[in-house]
Amino acid sequence: MASPTLTGPRNTGSTRKSATRRVRRQLPSSPWLFAAPGLLVTGAFILYPFVSTLVNSFTDRRTLVPGEFVGLDNFRELLHDDMFWTGLRNSSLYVLGVVPALVLLPLLLALLVQKNIPGITFFRSAFYTPVVASIVVVGLIWVWLLDERGLVNSVLEMLGAGPVGFLSDQWLILLSAMAVTVWKGLGYYMIIYLAALANVPRELHEAAAVDGAGAVRRFLSVTVPAVRSTMVLVAALSSVAAFKVFSEVYLMAGPAGGPAGEDTTLVMLVQRTGTGLTGRVGYASAISVVVFVVTVALMLLVLRADRKEES
Amino acid sequence: MPTSRRTFAAAAVAALLLPLSACGSSGDDGGSTDASGKVEGDITFQTWNLRANFKDYFEGLIADFEKKHPGTHVKWVDQPGEGYADKISADAAGGTLPDVVNVSPDLVAPLAKAGLALDLDKAAGQYEKEYLQEAWASHRIPGMDGTYAFPWYLNTGPLFYNKSLFEKGGLDPEQPPKTYDEVFDAALKIADKTDGEVATLANVPTIEDFGRYGVPLMDEEGTAFAFNDAKGVELLSRYKELYDAKALDPQALTATPESTGKKFLTGAVAMNPGSALDLANFKKQAPSLYKNIGITDQITSTGHVNMYVMGLMVNSQSQRKPAAVAFAHYVTDAAHQMSFAKQVAVFPSTAGSLDDPYFTKEDGTDETRVRVASAKSLKDAVNYTPVLFSEQMKTELRNEVAKALQGKQSPKEALDNAVKACDRLLQQQG
Repeated sequence: MASPTLTGPRNTGSTRKSATRRVRRQLPSSPWLFAAPGLLVTGAFILYPFVSTLVNSFTDRRTLVPGEFVGLDNFRELLHDDMFWTGLRNSSLYVLGVVPALVLLPLLLALLVQKNIPGITFFRSAFYTPVVASIVVVGLIWVWLLDERGLVNSVLEMLGAGPVGFLSDQWLILLSAMAVTVWKGLGYYMIIYLAALANVPRELHEAAAVDGAGAVRRFLSVTVPAVRSTMVLVAALSSVAAFKVFSEVYLMAGPAGGPAGEDTTLVMLVQRTGTGLTGRVGYASAISVVVFVVTVALMLLVLRADRKEES
Repeated sequence: MPTSRRTFAAAAVAALLLPLSACGSSGDDGGSTDASGKVEGDITFQTWNLRANFKDYFEGLIADFEKKHPGTHVKWVDQPGEGYADKISADAAGGTLPDVVNVSPDLVAPLAKAGLALDLDKAAGQYEKEYLQEAWASHRIPGMDGTYAFPWYLNTGPLFYNKSLFEKGGLDPEQPPKTYDEVFDAALKIADKTDGEVATLANVPTIEDFGRYGVPLMDEEGTAFAFNDAKGVELLSRYKELYDAKALDPQALTATPESTGKKFLTGAVAMNPGSALDLANFKKQAPSLYKNIGITDQITSTGHVNMYVMGLMVNSQSQRKPAAVAFAHYVTDAAHQMSFAKQVAVFPSTAGSLDDPYFTKEDGTDETRVRVASAKSLKDAVNYTPVLFSEQMKTELRNEVAKALQGKQSPKEALDNAVKACDRLLQQQG
């Protein structure tokens, strides 16, 4: 859009001309000045680390050794690193396991607590509590619960099901971590759905009910289409978060990433490879670049699926 | 407008190129090793998780040093135990490493290689004779000349065992095992008798276990790992036997020192290595266990127990090297190590200190019994942990050991793979 300074009258006296020139000189820099604090923070804490990671991924940089340019060597090494493939598999499985649950369950929960009945605020708060709890505290509580001598196994033993190796079997560890992620995320996405549900016209439900639609039919034909864009948002947010999972698996599988490292996720691998005094910063950066690329691809995939659905 | 665009473009290019500039310099200027001169100026002293319990001791120590050397000022910073190596990494990379740093030998090695640790053989060689020979040598790095930290306090652990679980397993609680073979036999017997309900050990073998079993860990030059020999395979095969019989806790593959400690506290496992510090913990947190606690020597098949060494490194880039060296020596001299050992159950690394009656006479309590036994074993103890054995190498060994225990590969294959991975990491360390 053209600014008034560029289209304003040109022959209205010298004072006005000089004022116009002054404004013309000042205007382009003013927005930058206002944006400067935000830009500085973004540049220092997002752009610079991002570019730095990208550059490091092409070097053999170590924590205390600046390193040399090695081209694509780190990426070639990734292809032959079993632990990288294990990490990629686990992070991908995490997305597949967690995202459908986090798209659907909070919606059902939101429908439950949407109604204004006495005491509903308590339930809303209760469902939201895990969101504000520290992941470390939550993770440790679940570790105690799922331990071979923990509460869950004690109950199972009473029922004659014997101790289950929730924290010793590679797949059960991953499943347990997924359960914690879903349990902790329910409240957060429930709030997002509650906001979306508030915008669904009541008349639509009433009309569907008059037409003889049952609760399930109304859910599928009225609620889901009405909150579809929110579901896409939840899918995008949760898939990115799930692919970058660290804390839950780290707490449940231990720093080694489960038995023989079989529960290692990509972000755990970045942490393990790139930190400490002998950390391989270059190689860890290459893994980070892969995480970034896959994350962006996941976002694009979700958005593309949404567009296809719309068309 | 064109000017601002050019400026913006230049700034963007600078931002892109800035990280590249970090790749050129070597940054390993070792600095001068000359620490002679007047002891004066401000220095920073960093400890590893000591403020919470020993604030008064260190404040008194610093005040005495400043009084002895007028014109000096010591700023004491303490870092939490968790993530300590990362904190040092960040400081080292950012050029803000304190003048005197509390380190363990494996932390010293990369710092020395990066030229950030002062060579004390050159800068303070006159003090060498004050320390136990083995302790002074523990901060030497294979492939490098020099010693890179003052030895500070030592620790070694007795092995705690649960007498009631021993009885339950049909063993004599007064005759605990002493060697690895005896431990393995006892563990299998307990597992058999309790139908796999009671495990004896809760952790997979570490590099120190291989060392104490008599496995050579590295070649003589310190350039390659060697724990995949027949003896190493034998040790891992025995652990596999234990794992299959549930004599090794099923959660051992994911265990941490904290989780194994907790298992011992709750009576889930029969034996756990510890230190003299743990007794107070047992008394407070598990009084019923404390009543049944058995204490025996650290398990070793070589006759030498493992020794953990703490050290004080002097930053080679320090602007106040005379003061930094003087302070590091002051903290680690015989008198101060002795007074620190009386504060907490650690042992001095200074020559002759372990002959003090404090470490040789028992008064009938468990505390003194553990102290005297530990001090005795420290006299010919070995620091089995190779200084070049990094965290990444520990993970590689642990993962390969876990695969062998799960039966995914043979013990020989597991150790061959571990050695191969550790050698590769060693080469990458440079």
